[in-house]
Amino acid sequence: MSGGYEQDGVPAGTIELDGATRSFRVQADAGRTLKELVLRSGARRKGIKGPDEVWALRGVDLHIAPGETVAIVGRNGAGKSSTLRVLAGIVPLDGGTVRVGGHVAALLDLAAGFSRDFSGRENIMMGGALYGLTRKQVEDRLEEMVAFSELGEFVDLPLKAYSSGMLVRLAFAIVAFLDADVLLIDEVLAVGDGAFQRKCEERIAAQVAGGSTLVLVSHDLHLIQRTCARTVLLEGGRVAADGPTEEILDRYVALLEGQAAPVRGTDHLAEVAAGTTGPQTRPADDTTSREDDA
Amino acid sequence: MSSTSLSRPSDLKGHGFLFEQLVQRELRQKYQGSVLGLLWYLVNPLLLLGAYYLMFGVVLKPGFSHPSYPLFIMTAMVVWLFVQSTLGAAGDSLLSQAALLRKARFPREIIPTAVVTVQAMTFLALLVVVSVLTVAFQGTLGAQLLLLPVVVVLLLAFVQGLALAISALHAHFRDVQPIVGAILVPWFFVTPIFYRPTDITDQELARFALEWLNPVAPFAEAVRTILYDGNVPSASTWLYLALVGAVALVVGAAIFRRLQRDLAVML
Repeated sequence: MSGGYEQDGVPAGTIELDGATRSFRVQADAGRTLKELVLRSGARRKGIKGPDEVWALRGVDLHIAPGETVAIVGRNGAGKSSTLRVLAGIVPLDGGTVRVGGHVAALLDLAAGFSRDFSGRENIMMGGALYGLTRKQVEDRLEEMVAFSELGEFVDLPLKAYSSGMLVRLAFAIVAFLDADVLLIDEVLAVGDGAFQRKCEERIAAQVAGGSTLVLVSHDLHLIQRTCARTVLLEGGRVAADGPTEEILDRYVALLEGQAAPVRGTDHLAEVAAGTTGPQTRPADDTTSREDDA
Repeated sequence: MSSTSLSRPSDLKGHGFLFEQLVQRELRQKYQGSVLGLLWYLVNPLLLLGAYYLMFGVVLKPGFSHPSYPLFIMTAMVVWLFVQSTLGAAGDSLLSQAALLRKARFPREIIPTAVVTVQAMTFLALLVVVSVLTVAFQGTLGAQLLLLPVVVVLLLAFVQGLALAISALHAHFRDVQPIVGAILVPWFFVTPIFYRPTDITDQELARFALEWLNPVAPFAEAVRTILYDGNVPSASTWLYLALVGAVALVVGAAIFRRLQRDLAVML
């Protein structure tokens, strides 16, 4: 069976992604209407090509053992976020299999799942509920989460009143205290201030020491060096390199600087991601975060 | 880590608290900050009932009559209001919770089910009020009342099935909710609420159509038979209700399962 998200019989903290493929429609079709459907099926009858599909993952194999700390790097559009979403079970695969053992907590994008009209405390309850906790389990963790978030009295105010830094702290506090077997974090730590970032790193380290698996997507190479022993480089929806962080990061930096030999699996998507202006141009995003970090 | 008994996303039972949270949110969000708050859930339908009674019972004066006409209307109307409000709210349910869908893996059915649950709570509260009034004024206290919960359960199955289908379909084709809205208007008038089919037509075929082609009609009439007439609905009614409830639930759930796959991506 392809695309199914398997959890049963997989040891807690284990991740097995085999031949994972996934494509997305690029057409802005969030508002599909019957009219469009009729027009499209008419077009299909006449042999006109349907909406363009872009491959986000084109055969990703990734095996991670419990307690491993793995960073995923790659240029924009390489498939990093898609991989995390697949591991979180939010995006189903078109082909291949994904097997993740135990309880998964994902911090994918910050505002997701928060309701601006409700207080921080109420959002914590909802956040815990989303990950399958019971009321008691959330209540047991509530004080820890509130203390960690340093929100103080703000925790009882609606989220409307929060700064973006406060939102990050709240979001991270929830995910960090779910006691998940697998932690999936996508490029969100950078939003908080330096002190809170260090606190988050310490909390993650404590979780990992307790046996949790960490998968981190980031452009912050120093953060990766500090937190992840293993790094996976994605290029054009495929694993281009996988190994010890130092080794892979060297290769990634070389790739960003346009000095790398053509990487296996490079395709039009990678070219799109790199921009059309040639190999000397660095992808803007990557450059900025690295400079921020320096 | 694994010693904590966090539940698995794959089983619905493990998400009881999420369901509870969604119901709570649904209840509070709509009338948050308003003075009457949750009471609006009862005030609205009661006002509607009053307006319809004025219109059809006092102003228009139909050519047929039923004793305690307001009760005659109310016992069927309460069923219709539940169907109407739930189907009206179902379409938007997944869209309005898109942020949750993108955040974690959980059984997607929980979202439309929470919407149905909130509407069902209103319906049950209203039904209790209507039942007490009707039984008191009509003097229909009897064993047939024990059958009312059975009708309610079958009605819940019917509405839940439709809500599942509408919510998933609307997520894919944004015309679905407006279409449902448009259908609800004429649907209301062909549902025997202010009349019984025998009141308005002598034609066998028309009567049959009014009684059986509209799946809401037998539900409304069953409630009215039990509460207002103090009788037991016919065997064919029971068969019909059970069939409609089961088919709607099975088909609705199947449609939902088929269409839910990419919800997090497409919303």
